[in-house]
Amino acid sequence: MKSTGKKKLYLLFLNLFFICVCLLALVPVLYVFLLSLSSGGGALITGASGSLTLENYRKIIVEKPFLQWLFNSIVLSVGTMLLAMITSIGASYAFSRFRFRGKNAAMQLLLLLNAFPQILSMFAIFRLFRLMNLLDSHAGLIFIYAGSMCIFGIWNMKGYFDSIPIEIEEAAKIDGSGNLQLILRIIMPLARPAIIVTAVMVLIFVWNEYLFATTFMLREESYTLAGGLYQLQANDYSRSWPLFSAAAILVSVPILVIFFCIQKHMVSGLTAGGVKG
Amino acid sequence: MKKHSTKIYAWLYCLPAFTLIGVIVLFPILYTGYISLTNMNLYHWQDYTFVGADNYIRALVKVDSGFLSALATTLLWTAVNMILDVAIAYLLAVGLNVEGLRARRIYKTLLVFPWAMPAYVSILVWRVGMFNTEFGLLNRFLTALGFDKMDFLSRNVPAFLSCMTLNLWMSLPYMIVMIDGGLQSIDRSMYESAILDGANPWQKNWYITIPSLKKIMAPIIIMTTFTMFKQFDILYLLTMQKGAVSGSTLQTIITYAHQNAFVSNNYGLSSAVSMVIFVFIIVFSLWTNRAARTERSEQ
Repeated sequence: MKSTGKKKLYLLFLNLFFICVCLLALVPVLYVFLLSLSSGGGALITGASGSLTLENYRKIIVEKPFLQWLFNSIVLSVGTMLLAMITSIGASYAFSRFRFRGKNAAMQLLLLLNAFPQILSMFAIFRLFRLMNLLDSHAGLIFIYAGSMCIFGIWNMKGYFDSIPIEIEEAAKIDGSGNLQLILRIIMPLARPAIIVTAVMVLIFVWNEYLFATTFMLREESYTLAGGLYQLQANDYSRSWPLFSAAAILVSVPILVIFFCIQKHMVSGLTAGGVKG
Repeated sequence: MKKHSTKIYAWLYCLPAFTLIGVIVLFPILYTGYISLTNMNLYHWQDYTFVGADNYIRALVKVDSGFLSALATTLLWTAVNMILDVAIAYLLAVGLNVEGLRARRIYKTLLVFPWAMPAYVSILVWRVGMFNTEFGLLNRFLTALGFDKMDFLSRNVPAFLSCMTLNLWMSLPYMIVMIDGGLQSIDRSMYESAILDGANPWQKNWYITIPSLKKIMAPIIIMTTFTMFKQFDILYLLTMQKGAVSGSTLQTIITYAHQNAFVSNNYGLSSAVSMVIFVFIIVFSLWTNRAARTERSEQ
């Protein structure tokens, strides 16, 4: 009897503790959400007091090139996703199914290249792109993003492809399917969880990238959402926190929705490649 | 004949990916290595000359170049963040798995939020909403409690601690989820027999939970160490944005390389630093690979 009472007290204490931790985790987000609803533009706001308004959201959509930025973000993320997925599905199929000389060495080299922070070669890419006239173009950014995400894709999907029994393919081969048909008809449907998680990771990566997006894009109208948001708070004179907060919330919502949709697959889709290694 | 054709197919499937990676990832790294041997800067954009190892000597030997202190900061940053990240996440994950905690699903969902937020949005939100001297929540607390306002980002030590707090806020959810997953994969029967043997909770943690987690967590901890080591956005966005330099002179090696390339336009030095960092990363990953392999062969 005494021990159940003790246990209850312990659980109560633990619950209180976790409520505090959750609050700590959410406070910055909640505060910004409140800021985005506060009236009074400029920097003279008094926080959560005053009336709540959606004015900031209207302003950010109508007065700033928000829709243009959104369009750029969508073009870049979809373009990158297509390029990265097409190249990496082919390569990870080859790595998973064929034996060829230098395979393991190539996989290790890819891992090493992936460990190199891309920021460090940014200047070299900048010079290269100037030469190739790819600065200030969506195609240029798509190449950069796809190039770095391609390695992640190969590693992440190869592990999953390995777990698909090869007998299924052999049956189809006897029926006379070519390799390309095998990938499209058999591998891709079977590996759907890994492919979806990889594609979504690419999408999120591009959506969140601001450094290359601001360094390689020279005009405000070609910015992505990330670049535009960065610009909103970096520009000293037009700085307006409520406006910035509204933009921050708008930019995060799609990512939050996607994230919580695939969260269930996240652990399995991400670790299938790594654990086996 | 057949073997020959599969080989061709293999390379054919790899070709698009390898071309892309070659142009975007491999070539720029080699090019960076080439630039590191020249005196390329704003005044020598086209007519640069070879200077041999001068940039490397400047970075590694001359103390006033700032690279060595940046390196020390980076190592301290990685170590402190990793220890706190793993320790706090472990405590929280164990807490979440206490029997009878009914609301654990809600807590887990809420705690994942900082992970789901886009990283740069979180950083800017903290800059504006927490650390800002006029509107930041932290300063509101301080003034409400009767203290003076504090500029968290203007001096090195508070800036380091502020960046660390934010980094932990951003990286803890991932670690909690991973450790939580690891905890659930531990065989329950081990605990039951430990209780029969009269083990207390502390002993259960020390002799069962932590050793069982080690194997599952090793790759995740190595990956997170890389991420912490490479961390650029937090320090850059909080303290050294163009036109909004906060006053602290804190640098990690990555921000150091970036500043030299894009602020002081000293491309040669920046590239030399980049190559040195790359060598560090290669050595570290070879070392972890070998450690993992010997551990596997011991079992």
